[in-house]
Amino acid sequence: MSKEALTFALSKGRIFDEAAALLKKAGIEMTSDVNSRKLVIPDTQGRFRFFIVKPVDVPTYVEYGVADVGIAGRDVLLESNADVHQPLDLRIGLCKMVVASPKATAKQNYKDLSAVRIATKYPRVTTEYFTQRGVPVEIIPLSGSVELAPLLGLSDRIVDLVATGRTLAENGLEVIEPICDISARLVINRASYQIKRQSISELIQLLAAVIPL
Amino acid sequence: MKTLTQIPLGTQVLFGKAAKQRRRIERTIFSVFEAWSYQEIIPPIFDYYDVFTKGMGLELEDTLYRFIDREGNILALRPEFTSLVAKSVATRLADHPKPLRLCYCGEVLRYETPRGGRQREFFQIGLENIGGEHIRSDAEVILVAIESLKKLGIKKFQINLGEIGYFAGIVERIDFSREDLLKIKTFIDLKDVVGLKSEMDRLNLSERRRQIILSLVHLTGDSSVIQTGRHLVSNEKSHQALNNLESLYEELKSHKVDESITIDLSEVRGLDYYTGTIFKIYVPGLGFEIGGGGRYDNLLKNFGCDFPAVGFSFSLERLMSLES
Repeated sequence: MSKEALTFALSKGRIFDEAAALLKKAGIEMTSDVNSRKLVIPDTQGRFRFFIVKPVDVPTYVEYGVADVGIAGRDVLLESNADVHQPLDLRIGLCKMVVASPKATAKQNYKDLSAVRIATKYPRVTTEYFTQRGVPVEIIPLSGSVELAPLLGLSDRIVDLVATGRTLAENGLEVIEPICDISARLVINRASYQIKRQSISELIQLLAAVIPL
Repeated sequence: MKTLTQIPLGTQVLFGKAAKQRRRIERTIFSVFEAWSYQEIIPPIFDYYDVFTKGMGLELEDTLYRFIDREGNILALRPEFTSLVAKSVATRLADHPKPLRLCYCGEVLRYETPRGGRQREFFQIGLENIGGEHIRSDAEVILVAIESLKKLGIKKFQINLGEIGYFAGIVERIDFSREDLLKIKTFIDLKDVVGLKSEMDRLNLSERRRQIILSLVHLTGDSSVIQTGRHLVSNEKSHQALNNLESLYEELKSHKVDESITIDLSEVRGLDYYTGTIFKIYVPGLGFEIGGGGRYDNLLKNFGCDFPAVGFSFSLERLMSLES
């Protein structure tokens, strides 16, 4: 079918360096530095056009087909609930989504509370997690520095990503329970997957061959 | 009162160019439907709740707009047309000569987040062929869909053709609970191999079944996919599904439309409802399918009248967005 360049949504956030390195290993290189102000960057062989967008927007660009494919963290995918294909776990950007709380209250079982107050960037996932366990939850939606919320008394607990646990420890927080493992996924628009099948299955094969074990 | 000027989420108003464009597309498509002897049916916008849940299965249940009338009956606004057409056929048109060729156009309502060019109220145009011969009527509705697209000036499109019986044959012999099957279906639908693997681990599926289900995810391509599908499984139902699919493909080939056909055995949405052929239509440049349909041989039984049937619908909003 069509051999036009695939549009590829990438984000500058948490997983960019690892994603770029993985793509390079698969023989896909961007023609210019992402730190240039360009928003659309072709690759060296004319097979892809990269869009650099905010991490939370990758699923949206792909769901609407503005980007044929993209790399998005599972955290962002769960939160957006975007209707996209996700055939590959790229095993980069590894971390966990957890419930954490200040050391002082870590021992107190939140199930004994009438309601839990949670600060998070992931209101959808958090609400689902607690309501499925029969625990009423009050969400404090934040877009960054979530660790700060319990320190300042804004919330009792947080739901956030943890890689090494250092940021948590520095802020006197500890993990009370893991919610799920997070890693970056290759995501593909449903229509593109069908219409540009050949280019897309080539991309899947290239990437599948270089995924770290 | 703010409600006088505010609009409820999911509603829309068309005027000027957009209204003209909508009517033009409707007329163009209806002219094709008419040329194939399809007659318009105008069903009510609401009916008893059970008509829709029995009709479309539970996949749409959460999206229904329900309400209660003064006698306490539960009613719902139509989320699709097929159930209503089936009910009318069973109650009013059962003794008419077959196949019955019926077409419709109008708004449907689903309580879901507006996305993909669709509001909560959106428009469908489509048709149903009831009581027709199996492969021949499947081919007919696909040919009508193709002709409609061409008449609208849409030259490039792709029809993904599958057979739900293939997947049904595979899962039928595995003792899945309703919830487990739903999870497996969702993972296949998202082509989420990672989730699929861990779910199959949890369910303790045999190695052979795991292989079959994992292969299913990527069973899409030219007509050779039918052969690949055959080698993969041994159950009779799946093989019968592939025989049907092959006959249908040959029939479409004899009409020289096979270049726009892709065989897709990974399509598993609509398992509650479709019984045979399923298809989706994609157009380059649009990230969503613009229409689709399939065979639903068990639906009319719910209304007390046992006829096989096949149909499809287009999303008018998405057809409009293609032109702009």
